[in-house]
Amino acid sequence: MAQIEVRDLQITYDTPKTGERFTAVEGVTLSVEAGEFVTIVGASGCGKSTLLLAVAGLVPVSGGTIAIDGRTVTAPGPDRAVVFQEASLLPWRSVLGNVKFGLEMQRWTRDDRTERAMRFIRMVGLANFADYHPHQLSGGMRQRVNIARALAVDPKVLLMDEPFGALDAQTREVMGDELLTIWEREKKTALFVTHDIDEAIFLADRVVVMGRNPGHIKEIMRVDIPRPRHEDVLDSDLFNGYRKRLRAHLAEDMASMHLVEGAQA
Amino acid sequence: MTATAGPRPAPPPRARWPRPSRSATISIASVAVFFLLWQIAPELGLVNGRFTSQPTLVLKAALEVAVADDFLRHARVSLTAFAVGYGLAMLVSIPLGIVLGTSRIARHMLEPPLMALYIAPTLILLPVMIVWLGIGIASKIAVAFLGAVFPIIVNTMAGMREADHKLVRMARSFGASRFDVFTRILVPGALPSIVVGLRLAIGRAVLGVIVGELYVSQAGLGFQLTTYGAAMRIDRLLVYAIAVSIFGYTMTALVRAIEARLQRWRPE
Repeated sequence: MAQIEVRDLQITYDTPKTGERFTAVEGVTLSVEAGEFVTIVGASGCGKSTLLLAVAGLVPVSGGTIAIDGRTVTAPGPDRAVVFQEASLLPWRSVLGNVKFGLEMQRWTRDDRTERAMRFIRMVGLANFADYHPHQLSGGMRQRVNIARALAVDPKVLLMDEPFGALDAQTREVMGDELLTIWEREKKTALFVTHDIDEAIFLADRVVVMGRNPGHIKEIMRVDIPRPRHEDVLDSDLFNGYRKRLRAHLAEDMASMHLVEGAQA
Repeated sequence: MTATAGPRPAPPPRARWPRPSRSATISIASVAVFFLLWQIAPELGLVNGRFTSQPTLVLKAALEVAVADDFLRHARVSLTAFAVGYGLAMLVSIPLGIVLGTSRIARHMLEPPLMALYIAPTLILLPVMIVWLGIGIASKIAVAFLGAVFPIIVNTMAGMREADHKLVRMARSFGASRFDVFTRILVPGALPSIVVGLRLAIGRAVLGVIVGELYVSQAGLGFQLTTYGAAMRIDRLLVYAIAVSIFGYTMTALVRAIEARLQRWRPE
């Protein structure tokens, strides 16, 4: 059995202002094997973040099931950790304090907390910044803390919601590289949401392409590029082929979006 | 900025005798001019010295008040009313503000009367307090309490409501219970606002005590103010007025220092 099993998932909610029922995700079925790196890509509004947060147990499921190692997900649990799009660091805590936060919530002993937190702070290259507060850090450094905090609780599954979305292109590439290095060492199952096609291919064993209205899976594409990967694969013919295929999907979505907007105008 | 290794550049070397800044120079000069005018105006016959007194006379009165005149006893009476009223206000308003900030139902129920009382000068309740509690210290405590309680409630409430929902979601993702979210996210996040409320409450509580004593009392700084006012002892009256403002200023500065410590993680 796969580690993450999503079966015929449906997620609906009431939009607060109009009170209308909105279907964010419908008929999504996906299995992710232990140790696999799966990226989810799609235009905005395709429900990719909603799907990820549902796996995290932060968004209620309206239909279908999500299971981790055979246990149905109803709430967040120590088997999963989320890396959020915005670093979501506690501004009044230092880097060390922030990385310790998850460990405190999951009742690790006091000695273990500091030791483990420091280990992951070193891993993301912030050993000299453990006493700094978030406002003293750059965006890239904050995301490193965000990642360290998630890894520190030793989850089986790492859920990442566009973690590099707010970073500049260069920082983004560096962070992607480092993430792969860490992932190869830590052997976590990874689900990674992005709207960046190159990022989706570069990181993934498989890319899940989602479409809109309502959010559904259009295609699951296997990426057969050997690991460890380096940036030069971005220029390879193989990579270009994947890139073209994903672009075609997204272009289709963009076109339908313009048609809808045109009709409303 | 040029390339530096870390975000913390070394502090610039300090001069042994720092030159006073331009703004400090202007402030000091204006105070000096004011005292000078105050001193010479009665002597030049520009104003009636009986009504304005003079800095030298006030200084002399201060020395008199310090050695005789039971200054400490009166100060203790006022200080007790302030401390009890302010302390009770803290005990009541911080928990109440926290509840109101988290519970929507409680807020809908209590927000309109609270806002009305926050905006209205609570001193208007002084006559009622005197009818209820008599002219002893209890009515001054009540007025100090009423003055202090609303700024703290309103600011605590605001601090709790401004909680960052992204941080709450992050905490939940790590399995935080409602209690964890409350103690680790909501309350620490609201702390700076709570302290702002505590600072605003000081002035209101001082005002409550002093005005209460002006109105009816047998002791206290406010009582001395009315006594010397009635006796036309402007010099002594000013000594007490200055003592009250020094107290309020010191307390406020103290809370400001706490505020600055708390805000270190929140620049600007």
